[in-house]
Amino acid sequence: MSDIILRSENLCKRFGITTAVDDVSLEFERGAIHGLIGENGSGKSTFCSTLCGIYPISSGRFLLEGKEFRAKSQVDANRHGVSIIVQEIGTLPGLTVAENIFLGEEDKFMRGVIKNTSAMNREAQRLLNSYGFERIIASRMIDNYSFEDRKLIEIVKATYFNPKVVVVDETTTALSQAGREELFTVMNRIKSAGNTVIFISHDLEEVIAHTDRISILRDGKLVGTVQSGETDDGELKRMMVGRELTNRYYRTDYGQPISDDVVLSVENVTVPGKIHAVSFCLHKGEILGIGGLSECGMHEIGKAIFGASYGRSGSVTLKSGYAVNSIPGAIKHGIAYASKDRDNESVAVADSIRDNICLPSLGDLSTHAFINNRKLDDFAKKYAELMSVKMTGINQNVSNLSGGNKQKVVLSRWIGKDSDILVLDSPTRGIDVKVKADIYALMSELKQRGKSIIMISEELQELLGMSDRILIMKDGRINGEFIRNQDLGEKDLITKMV
Amino acid sequence: MEKQSRTAVVRKQNTRDYVRGVLPLFGFIVIVAVFSILTQGRLIRIESLSLMFSQVYVLMISAMGVFMLMTVGGLDFSQGSILGLASIIFCWVSNYSIVLGVLAAVLAGAAMGAFNGFFHVKFKIASFIVTICTMYFFRGLCKYITTSGPVPASTNVMMLNETWFKLLLTGIMLLLGFIVWHFTRVGCDLRAIGASETAAQFSGSRPDLNKFLAFTASGAITGVAAFINVIKVGSISGTAGSQLETQILIALVLGGMPISGGAKARFSNIIIGSLTYCVLEMSLPMVFAIPATQQLVKGVIFLVVVALTIDHESLRVIK
Repeated sequence: MSDIILRSENLCKRFGITTAVDDVSLEFERGAIHGLIGENGSGKSTFCSTLCGIYPISSGRFLLEGKEFRAKSQVDANRHGVSIIVQEIGTLPGLTVAENIFLGEEDKFMRGVIKNTSAMNREAQRLLNSYGFERIIASRMIDNYSFEDRKLIEIVKATYFNPKVVVVDETTTALSQAGREELFTVMNRIKSAGNTVIFISHDLEEVIAHTDRISILRDGKLVGTVQSGETDDGELKRMMVGRELTNRYYRTDYGQPISDDVVLSVENVTVPGKIHAVSFCLHKGEILGIGGLSECGMHEIGKAIFGASYGRSGSVTLKSGYAVNSIPGAIKHGIAYASKDRDNESVAVADSIRDNICLPSLGDLSTHAFINNRKLDDFAKKYAELMSVKMTGINQNVSNLSGGNKQKVVLSRWIGKDSDILVLDSPTRGIDVKVKADIYALMSELKQRGKSIIMISEELQELLGMSDRILIMKDGRINGEFIRNQDLGEKDLITKMV
Repeated sequence: MEKQSRTAVVRKQNTRDYVRGVLPLFGFIVIVAVFSILTQGRLIRIESLSLMFSQVYVLMISAMGVFMLMTVGGLDFSQGSILGLASIIFCWVSNYSIVLGVLAAVLAGAAMGAFNGFFHVKFKIASFIVTICTMYFFRGLCKYITTSGPVPASTNVMMLNETWFKLLLTGIMLLLGFIVWHFTRVGCDLRAIGASETAAQFSGSRPDLNKFLAFTASGAITGVAAFINVIKVGSISGTAGSQLETQILIALVLGGMPISGGAKARFSNIIIGSLTYCVLEMSLPMVFAIPATQQLVKGVIFLVVVALTIDHESLRVIK
């Protein structure tokens, strides 16, 4: 047994009467990458949050290098050499890259009461370069950088001071393939420096490939710890869910012909700076996958079809001949859209589940401009229950739902609207295995019912597993097309992506 | 785990929402009780109540418009000036016909509201900036028109100065507002836009159109308030309606309206808030003889009430 850097002893975290982390005793080795997996709500994020001082511990303790460690705050945790990279954006807009990196550590660059900005910028640039992120300029505003670059900046921020333990919480869901590779490089560097990474991810293959050991949590309890080299997908899923998962995770059918019936044609669509002269069509009952690197413009295609792009040229035409140019027009004519940015562009988080589900259908639910509130309640209830959204009631605010349930609310909304064309951008981003399976099942069912789906995704497995046809984009243009085929592999897609 | 903790959080939040929901009503009752004792019962005599009612009409009606604006996350500081200008226009036209006068006041109010809305939506200027500018602009017009003296209304208008009439008109306006809020899609749309503009837009709502219409409607509603205002005072001077905007904002906040708008706006905020405000306005002079003390105490009470009732949670959620 090698050296233990961090140990939790009978750790518990309770919220009111419920126990989120239940008597977890775990050991983390020095110089290792330790995976932590479990379904949404299994306690893995809460466990790490107590470690990093985000939540106070209810009972039990952490031992960092043999000494009891109880962080009062994230800054306190940093000072003791424990840092965290979170799932959502952790950088502050309106500040420069350098200011973000040294947030809370500005004292280092103070001469009396004056901040030595150029010294701070120089130091930040040196750090960025040492990570190989030369293209990020320390003195520029963070707002100039994409979601993905900000994630990389956060990685620098959380690791530059050579912490002993780094928690990487669901960070990969925000990153493209290239960004992930950069993250894994950093993780390996931390490991070889004799420090430890706690890696939380929903992507089991990724966890198996990049960790030394994996601990599995279920309902707040530790199920077990396995050596990464001696386990597989199936075993981990079983341990996570506590039962055998059916094989019907992705579609299993092959060779089904695609209908000739074109329901949507996209011609010569250009959005300045994002996509150039993109043309394709969508058939009835088809699941069309669109993939590529994060910045290849594929996310803009969803918006362009939905009438939500600024400065779009070219045409998006439905079978009926209707040309889509606005969001209300798109919705009225049967197009649905679920954004990658779920919290800002899909659900109004500070509003009720009821209002969120009813919004697009308000017109259908009114008679002579008047709405019947009972009808709205019934409508919301019907579709929320159909999608089995876990909620206390339809009047609950969306803000308290987990990512998977938020996505279910979005889907209920469009199923309720009975849209014929669903544009789903990263439909399973940050969502656990069980809800993922639900969403795939729903997609198959919609396909059977003759609905057409455009699925934009950064997950190659998902594209291969679910699509009838896959378009791969590169630098804002379509760079390849693949028809559903058992022999198609990730490598085929990647060659067209880069 | 999170599953369970989430139910706990939700339960806690439900309780908190419930408490927050009844707090303004509770506050109203406490304030009435406290000041009834302090004024040795003078507050709840018939004559005090009717005086209070005479103050509440204008506030309650014009608060309805601002309520809608605040729900979508806007603010309006030009209400007082709109009231002043609309009142003058009513006075002019009332010499020909009172009905036409009301119509003219409503149209003038709508036009001023639309002016606000246009600048807010078209040029993406924050609503409080736009309305602070138009507050001066409309007020300037008011003063310019009244340079040679107050504008009198037709003497027939004074005949309408009956409590039953003003009460009835306020009741009708509230009922209309309630119907629009609860039984048309307006409420749903405005709440969603206030909660998250992009998400609402991506669900088919039209934020810009809704905001523009909310401003226009708010102006039109203040046109009706201007009618009642003239009934009460008979002639309009350059300062008519000043401070109305702050009264409305404070009344709404006292009534439990979240300052950042969004899904937690309740129609009852308007009624309870206006009543609470008017009770305070009424009773302070009875308790404190010196106007300076009244102002001071008023300030303290508002701060305390706002601090107690404000929803920190939704302030954090909404950027």
